[in-house]
Amino acid sequence: MEQQIEVREGVDRETIETVQNMGSYKYGWETEIEMDYAPKGLSEDIVRLISAKNDEPEWMLDWRLKAYRRWITMTPPTWALLDIPKIDFQDIYYYARPKSMETRPTSLDEVDPKLLATYEKLGIPLKEQALLAGVTAPEGERQVAVDAVFDSVSVGTTFREKLAEAGVIFCSISEAIREHPELVKKYLGSVVPQSDNFYATLNSAVFSDGSFVYIPPGVKCPMELSTYFRINAENTGQFERTLIIADKGAYVSYLEGCTAPKRDTAQLHAAVVEIVIEEDSEVKYSTVQNWFPGDEDGKGGIYNFVTKRADCRGDRAKVMWTQVETGSAITWKYPSCLLRGNDSQGEFYSIAIANNMQQADTGTKMVHLGKNTRSRIVSKGISAGRAQNTYRGLVSIHPKATDSRNYTQCDSLLIGDKCGAHTVPYIEVKNNSSRVEHEATTSKVDDDQLFYCRTRGMDEEEAVALVVNGFCREVLQALPMEFAMEAQSLVAISLEGSVG
Amino acid sequence: MLEIKNMHVKLEEEDKAILKGVDLTIGSGEVHAIMGPNGSGKSTLSYVLSGRDGYEVTEGSAVLDGHDLLDMEPEERAAAGLFLAFQYPVEIPGVGNMTFLRTALNAQRKARGQEELSAGDFLKVVRAKAKALKIDADMLKRPVNVGFSGGEKKRNEILQMAILEPRMCILDETDSGLDVDAMRLVSDGVNALRDANRSFLVITHYQRLLDHIKPDVVHIMADGRILESGGPELALVVEKNGYADLLKKHGIAEVA
Amino acid sequence: MTIVEKASALDARLGTLLVPAGGFAARARRDALERLTAMGLPGRRDEYWRWTNPTDFAATEPKPAKALAEDEAPIFGTLDRLKIVFVDGVFDAAASDDLALEGIEIARLADAPDVNWASGFYGTLEAAGQVPVKRPFATLNTVAATDGVLIRVTGKPSKPVNVIYIHKSDRSDPILHHCIRLEPGAELTLLENGPAGARFNGVMEVDVADGARFHHVRAQGRDHDPRAITHIFARIGAEALFKSFTLTVNGVLTRNECVLSLIGDDAVAHVAGAALGDGAKDAFHHDDTVFITHDALRGESRQVFKKVLKHGAQGIFQGKILVKPGAQKTDGYQISQSLLMDDDCQFLGKPELEIYADDVKCSHGSTTGAIDETALFYLRSRGVPVEEARALLVLSFLADAIEEIEDEGLKDEIVSRLESWLARHRD
Repeated sequence: MEQQIEVREGVDRETIETVQNMGSYKYGWETEIEMDYAPKGLSEDIVRLISAKNDEPEWMLDWRLKAYRRWITMTPPTWALLDIPKIDFQDIYYYARPKSMETRPTSLDEVDPKLLATYEKLGIPLKEQALLAGVTAPEGERQVAVDAVFDSVSVGTTFREKLAEAGVIFCSISEAIREHPELVKKYLGSVVPQSDNFYATLNSAVFSDGSFVYIPPGVKCPMELSTYFRINAENTGQFERTLIIADKGAYVSYLEGCTAPKRDTAQLHAAVVEIVIEEDSEVKYSTVQNWFPGDEDGKGGIYNFVTKRADCRGDRAKVMWTQVETGSAITWKYPSCLLRGNDSQGEFYSIAIANNMQQADTGTKMVHLGKNTRSRIVSKGISAGRAQNTYRGLVSIHPKATDSRNYTQCDSLLIGDKCGAHTVPYIEVKNNSSRVEHEATTSKVDDDQLFYCRTRGMDEEEAVALVVNGFCREVLQALPMEFAMEAQSLVAISLEGSVG
Repeated sequence: MLEIKNMHVKLEEEDKAILKGVDLTIGSGEVHAIMGPNGSGKSTLSYVLSGRDGYEVTEGSAVLDGHDLLDMEPEERAAAGLFLAFQYPVEIPGVGNMTFLRTALNAQRKARGQEELSAGDFLKVVRAKAKALKIDADMLKRPVNVGFSGGEKKRNEILQMAILEPRMCILDETDSGLDVDAMRLVSDGVNALRDANRSFLVITHYQRLLDHIKPDVVHIMADGRILESGGPELALVVEKNGYADLLKKHGIAEVA
Repeated sequence: MTIVEKASALDARLGTLLVPAGGFAARARRDALERLTAMGLPGRRDEYWRWTNPTDFAATEPKPAKALAEDEAPIFGTLDRLKIVFVDGVFDAAASDDLALEGIEIARLADAPDVNWASGFYGTLEAAGQVPVKRPFATLNTVAATDGVLIRVTGKPSKPVNVIYIHKSDRSDPILHHCIRLEPGAELTLLENGPAGARFNGVMEVDVADGARFHHVRAQGRDHDPRAITHIFARIGAEALFKSFTLTVNGVLTRNECVLSLIGDDAVAHVAGAALGDGAKDAFHHDDTVFITHDALRGESRQVFKKVLKHGAQGIFQGKILVKPGAQKTDGYQISQSLLMDDDCQFLGKPELEIYADDVKCSHGSTTGAIDETALFYLRSRGVPVEEARALLVLSFLADAIEEIEDEGLKDEIVSRLESWLARHRD
C-alpha cells in the first residue's frame, strides 16, 4: 500500500481468537437452585423483612425506613438521554436468597457446592488461590480476595484471615453492620447521602448485601480485593451496597465484576458504592460491567442504575475509577470524585460500549473543593447497532479550589449509521489560577485502518475489534492486568454483529 | 558593565537554594561564557537577572550600568539594556512578529525618553536588520514564533536583539535543539552584533557553541556557584574530560 | 416554578405589551401567542437557563439603564453603508438613509404593505427553532415586536446594510424582529451596532437560499447597564454560506442565542463571538447559547467563542451540534475559551454533541484559565510594559474568533474596538 496506515497497538492475536471461540454472551446460563423470596413489591414491611433477614440492629432498620419514607415521595430522574420503559416497582422481588444460605456458612467449606460451582463456571473460583483466571500461582504472585454476591446475599469472602493479619477488614456489608457497627455508622451514607437521588434512596431502603472494606492507617492492602456480583433469580432486583474506607496513608486496589443470565424481561440493579479516602491514602476502583445487555431487539437485560462516589477527605488523597461498561440494557452511572483535601487527585477512565438496542448514559463528576487539586477524565464511547451512548460529565472548580487542574478527553466512535453518540459535559470554573481543558471528538471507525487490517487477512469483525481496542488503549492500560485481558476480549464480543 | 555580587537565590514556592553566592563581573565589550552540568543553576541566573517570577533573591546584588536590576520590573530591565535570548522562545498566536517588534522597540524608546519610531522608519530598520541576518520577509509576517522551526525561533531571538540593540545580552542555551547549520547561522548573527559597547553572557552546556562565538572568559558553574574561571582553554578541558573531574575536585557529588 | 406561577408571570408580562393589531403578521402573532401560552416563560430552574437568570428578561418592567455619553466615533462610521436607525426601538427616518438599493428590497415591519414576501415567513424559523429546546423569549418577540426590517436580497448590493441602534431613554424596552431572505445566489453583509435600549429583545430570522452568502457582523455597544436577549434563527440552503460574528463589550446581562439549521447539502455555517467584560463598575454576565442542526450532507459548521473576563465577570457558553440521521460527512467544530483576568471571574460551559450519523467529524474543545505567565514574561523581557503586554496577549487570545470575519475592513473596525476596550480597562 502506498500509504502507511497506523494500526494502534494494544491488541494481540489472542483477543481475536477469543472472540471467535465465544458465543455472544457467555454468562447467559442460569444456576438451578432453590430460592427463598420475600413477597413481591416494596413496602415498609419488606424493608423490615430485609433488615430482619440480616439480623440487623435497630439503628439500621431506622436508617432504612427513613430512606424508604423519603423514596416514596420521589420520582425517577429524567434528565439522562435515555428512553427508560416505565418500571413497576411493585412487580419486583427485593430479596432472593438461596435456601442453602439460610444458616450462614461459617467458612467457604460450608457453602453450597452448587453456588461454588456457579462461581467456578464464571471463572471466579472461591478458593484461596491466586489470580482470577484460576491458575495456581507461583509463590509471590499477586493474590486476589473475592467477596461473591449472589442475588441478595454474600456467599462467601476469601482470604479473610490473611487480610485480618494486616488489619484489613474485608467482609459482606451485612456482616459489617453486625460486627463493626461503629465503622458502618460513621461512614454509611456519608459520601452518598440517603437523599442523593431516586435510585440511591431506593438502595438505602432495600440494600440486602454488598462488600465492606476497611484499610487501617498506614496499611497497603496486601492483595487486590474484588467483589463479583451475580444476578440469578428472575424478576429480582439486586441492590448491593459497597463501602470502602481507606484510612490515613492506606492503599487498596479494588475490582468489581458482574454478570446475569439471559432473560426476556428486564431486571433492575440499583447499587451504591461509597468510598472514603483519608489523608495520603489511595484507592483504585476498577469495574468490568458485563450484565446481560438484552437481545438484539432490546428484549430483557439489566437496568443498571448505579451511584458511585469517592470522597477524598484528606490532603493528598487519591482515587482512580476505571470502568469498562459493556453490558446492561440501560446504564445510568456516574462514578464521581469529591476532591476536598488539598492536593487531592481524582481520575476517571472509562470505556462504554453500546451495541444493538443498548443505551448508556455514563460519565463522571469531578468536584474540586480543595486547593491544588487535580483531575483527569478519559472517556471512550463506542456506539454500534441501534444503540445510544452518552458521555455526561461535570467538572466544577470552586472559588477556593485555587491552582487546580482538570484535563478531559472524551472520544466517541460510531459503527454504523443507526446508532448515536452524544457528549454532554458541564464545565464550571470559578477562579483564575486553575486551568481546565476539555477536548472531545466524534468520528467513525477509520475505513483506511479497517481496509489495512483486511488486506492482512482479518475479516471485518476482527478488524473492527482490533481497531476499537486500539481506540480504547489508554483506558485498557489503566486496568489491572488480568482485568485488561478480560476487558479486551469483552470489547470484541460486545461488538459482535455490529458490522455487515 | 554588569556586576553580580554574592548572589543567593531560592525558589519562591519551596525552600530550595539554587544559587549559593555567585560573583561575576562583565566589562564592556566582553563575551563571557558560563558552562555547567544540568541543574547547576546557570539558567536560573538568566531568569533572575531578567526578572522572572518564582525566584527569591535572599542575598547579593546585580547592577547593570549603575541600575540595580533586582529592584526593577522585567520591562524596566529591558529598557535599561538587558536582553535575554530564551532557550524556548514563546509562541504568541494572533500577534504578528512586526507588531510585536514595534511594540517592544517603541516601549523601550519611550521608557528611555526617546521618540517613538514611525511605522515607515521602523519598517526600514527591520528590513535592513533582517537582511543582514538573512531572515526572509515571510518570517516577519507570521505570528510570533508560531509554526517556526527550532532554528527560526532562535534566529528570531537574534533579530529581536539586533533591533532592540541591548547593552547586555544573555544567551540561554541558544544552541539547544539546533543542528550544525542552524547553529552557525545563529552564531554569525551574534558575532555581527559584537562591539565594544555590548557585552554577552553565553550560557551553554556544550563547548561546541563556543567554537562559533569565541568567549573572552569562561566560567564553570555547578551547585549554584562558579567553581572556576579562565580563558577559552577551560571550555576545551571540559569538552575533553567532562564535568566529573572538576566536580570531584571541588567536592561536589555528581548529579545523575 | 410551577405551571400556574409560570402562567401568571406570563400573563403579567403580556399585560404590559402593546401587541400591534392587523397587518400581514397578525396571524403569525396569534399563532405565536398560542405557542407562548402553552410553554410559559422560563424560570430559574429550567435546564436551559441553568447559569443565566431569566428573571430580568421576564419581568414586566425593564430595570433602568443609563445611556452612555459616546466619547468615540461610532463603529462602522467611516464605511460606505446603508443606514437604518432605531432610537430606543423607534425608527428614525431622518437619521436613516433612503431604503432603495439595487439588488435588495427593504421594508419595515411596522409599515409593510399587507401583501409582502415576509407574510408567509415571519415567525416560521422562530417556530421551527422551538424544537427540541423551548425559547419563549423569541416567541414573545414574534407576538409583540413593534418594528424591524424586512430585507429581501435578490442580487449583490453594492454596500452593506447597517442597522444602528441608539439607546437614549433609561427605561426603553424595545422588541424588534427582522426578517431577511437571500434568494438563490444573492449576497448580503449586514452590520448591527449599538445598544438598542435599556432592555432589548431582538429576533432575526434569516433564510439563506441555495448558493447565497450572508455575512453578519454585530457590535453590541459600550453601555454598562443594558440587558439584551437576542435570537438569530437561520436556515441555510445547499452550498450557501452563513457567517456571523458578535462583539460584546459591557452590558450587565446579555444572552445571545443562535439557532442554525443546515438544510441543504454542502452548506457552511460559522458563528463566532468575542465578549470582553469588566464587572468592576456593574455586573457583566454574558451568555452565548448556540444550537446548530445538521440535516443535510457534507455540512460544515464552526463555533468559535472567546471570552475575556475581569472583576467578577461571568461568561457562559452553551453550544450544541446536533447531527441528524443521514447527515453524513458532517464536519462540526466548536471551541469555547475563556481568559479569566482575576480570581473572582467565572466561566460556565456546556459544549454538547448529539450525533446520529456515523460518517462525521465533530469535535469540541474548551479551555479556561489565566493569562499565560511565560508569554507575559517573554513580552516584558522585550521591554513591553506589563499592561501593554497583557493587552497584546488578550488580542492574541481573541485572534481566531476575529479571523472569522472575512472582510479586512470590518476586521479592522472590530480590532480597533477591542484595543480601545483594553485601553479603557487597564488595572
